[in-house]
Amino acid sequence: MKLGDGIFAREVVPWLAVVFWIAVVLFVLVELVSSDFGAAVQGFIQGAFGGRRLAYLMTTLSRAALITGMALSVMLSFRAGLFNIGGEGQLVAGGLVAALVAVLVPGPPLLILALSILAAMAAGAAWALLAGALQLYVGVPLLVGSLLLNYPIRYIASYLVAHPYRDVASGMVQSHLVPQATWLPYFPGTRLDIGILFIVVAAIFAVAYSHTTVHGYQSRMNGLSPDFARTVGLPVNRLALQTLAMSGAIAGLVGAIAVFGIHHRYIDGMLVQPLYAWTGIIAVLLVGMIPWLVPISGFFFAAIQTGAAGMERTAGVPKEIALVVQAVIILLVASRVSGALLSSSDRKAGGGGDA
Amino acid sequence: MHAALHDIRVTFGSLTAVDGVSIDIEAGGIHAIVGENGAGKSTLMNVLFGLVKPDAGRIEIDGEPRGWASPQEAIASGLGMVHQHFMLQDEMTVLENIVLCAEPISRFGFVDFSGARRKLAQGFSEHGIAIDLDAIVGQLAVGQRQVVEILKMLYRDARLLILDEPTAVLTPQEKDRLFAILRSFAAAGKSVVIITHKLDEVMEIADHVSVMRGGRLISSGLLGGTSKERIAREIIGGDLPPPLKPQPREPGAVVLSVANLTIASRAGHVGPLSFEVRAGEIVGIAGVSGNGQAELVQALTGLRKPAGGTILLAGRDVAALDVAGRRPARMSYIPEDRPRMGLALGATVAENANAGREDRAGFAAGPFLRRRAMADFARDLIRRYNIRVGGPAARASTMSGGNKQKLVVGRELTRATPLIVAENPTWGVDIGAIDFIHGELMRMRDAGHAVLLVSTELDEVMALSDRILVMFEGTIAGEVSGGEATRERLGSLMTSRTGARAA
Repeated sequence: MKLGDGIFAREVVPWLAVVFWIAVVLFVLVELVSSDFGAAVQGFIQGAFGGRRLAYLMTTLSRAALITGMALSVMLSFRAGLFNIGGEGQLVAGGLVAALVAVLVPGPPLLILALSILAAMAAGAAWALLAGALQLYVGVPLLVGSLLLNYPIRYIASYLVAHPYRDVASGMVQSHLVPQATWLPYFPGTRLDIGILFIVVAAIFAVAYSHTTVHGYQSRMNGLSPDFARTVGLPVNRLALQTLAMSGAIAGLVGAIAVFGIHHRYIDGMLVQPLYAWTGIIAVLLVGMIPWLVPISGFFFAAIQTGAAGMERTAGVPKEIALVVQAVIILLVASRVSGALLSSSDRKAGGGGDA
Repeated sequence: MHAALHDIRVTFGSLTAVDGVSIDIEAGGIHAIVGENGAGKSTLMNVLFGLVKPDAGRIEIDGEPRGWASPQEAIASGLGMVHQHFMLQDEMTVLENIVLCAEPISRFGFVDFSGARRKLAQGFSEHGIAIDLDAIVGQLAVGQRQVVEILKMLYRDARLLILDEPTAVLTPQEKDRLFAILRSFAAAGKSVVIITHKLDEVMEIADHVSVMRGGRLISSGLLGGTSKERIAREIIGGDLPPPLKPQPREPGAVVLSVANLTIASRAGHVGPLSFEVRAGEIVGIAGVSGNGQAELVQALTGLRKPAGGTILLAGRDVAALDVAGRRPARMSYIPEDRPRMGLALGATVAENANAGREDRAGFAAGPFLRRRAMADFARDLIRRYNIRVGGPAARASTMSGGNKQKLVVGRELTRATPLIVAENPTWGVDIGAIDFIHGELMRMRDAGHAVLLVSTELDEVMALSDRILVMFEGTIAGEVSGGEATRERLGSLMTSRTGARAA
């Protein structure tokens, strides 16, 4: 058991320290706004994992699905060395197209649902490819191009649901509802839609793709060293475009799930305001782009967000303080996780260099 | 500056990299530290420079016990180190690189670049260095980047200079210039340490020599007290194999035929170049680095589009194809820039070994990887090329320089392509690995492959080549057959247009 003790000291103790510090900061913050510390913690845990018939846990899971989906999308790009931070635009493109196809195209519900999802994935892929084409053929760096492309699609979507396809009667800036028969059903006895299953499939795909396929391997070589990939004759441009298309398609899928599972229409800002895409990027960076850790990371971020909301609701901790708590937790956990990942990669590379 | 290391011991995990080494570095002398890769030379010097914390032992500078928390402290105390792989910002200019982290600040808080220029100009005239301070470092040849590294130390007024494999990338002329600078440093009372594999250079420049093997100090003393043969035996712990002698051999059909090749380059136009390489011969391309060799290699391998001319590879014009179009089964390439182009250091040995293979069935089944087959292939390379590494799953970055290069050489040569382009294939590699790589290139030649050896190491080109082309200012200055090549003959071609362009 000597080995076990070593692992305990190395891996578990630092985590206990992180938990301790989170508790300290939380305590101080909650005392500052003179709320009950115990109630705040309970509100946090209830808000993230509790609720009547686990309703809040379902909310957390539903949010986790979207964040994880976006995280998987950027993970594929990042691992291939493509700094595609246009997930938001690809997400919006997917959500918008999904809603419009379902509203405008008549047909049997299941077929329309399938068609809408495919159209959403195609739209997300197309938006990502546009950023890729700008880099390869016009010379706009992907980091810039993909970021800037977030804005036109956002306002195109705003325009379309504010004018031509607006549900005027509702008085809101939103599209008409998609046919009710196309709504994703809930799991029996819960308020959780089955959209999360799509994300599970996407996650399995992403993990399998990253570890077992030739394409994933070659993309990663390109990500680790573009000069190397070019020198050994990998088709770097093709790899980049295909990877971007995959990324965009997953983002588009997430947009479609948000439409058919949660909002049942496209509401202006519904995909932008919750910062799904950006939270997804942080979730991926937190775990150093290791595929199987991404869903866990996505769940963690969702839990922090819903937990903070719960703390506000039940313990009377103001929203702003809840947001600070959220930031502090992310910061402490992120520093611990990245520290652990960095030191483990150092260990593997131990004694390295040209000695 | 006088520096002394006492009983230094460094371990990386279970590996003891430096084992109780004590060494004295005298002021005003040039001290060579020699040994194979992995012998612990670089690690020992990294300890002195504050990059590696020793597990035991102490450092004394001018009689005072010292310790550094970081290289910054070492630099502030007058130490300077030029690493084997340069520590330069490619995107910045030469001048910006030189002053980086030691910026002269003007009265208003701006960087006083003109003051830096004045200070450097003085050093230039003293040591006969010529470099464009406004050039972007990323566009400089490797040899010129080293000059930038040395200027960095000059600029910081270092009193003890450590150079890790300083001549690995230099031509004889550049090397002579470097040695002149080092001698003038020593004459001015500075201490110079060079880490090297090259015994000729040790004999030429060193006052003291220390030999390391397997983390231990084997011998240390005045150069006069030892001999080249004795140092060689101490380095490898036995006797060296006899040098290779190429057997004369009739070359076969033309494999590579280059005609009127011109390449546009920011450093100046390259070409027109015309030459042939036949099956079963090694054609060496010699020249001072930065005379168009890099552009030529890039144009041949497809990394850069030529401006004009034809490149016939086994009779087919490939000038318009990219790397992926050229490589399949017809060309392999051992790049000079091993850490950037030869390997993906963050990937495993197996992943590196299988990259760029065209026999897809050997590592893939449909869209999926055959991880086991990839590992087997890597294990096979490790065994056949005698690569010292943990195994196929070890990261490429864990190998020493020589072993990294053996992996690159192994990966490329097992593809058994008609044409092999080798660009400074023994750059920064230890004696054992150099012999091995040279042997492999010869074996490929004898097996009927065409080998184009582009190297700035004259000895290497002379030892291996059947014919030698010398490049100067973007053109071929002349051709010498391998048997008739002398250092003087090649040296004169390397610095003037006496041959091809005379007419």
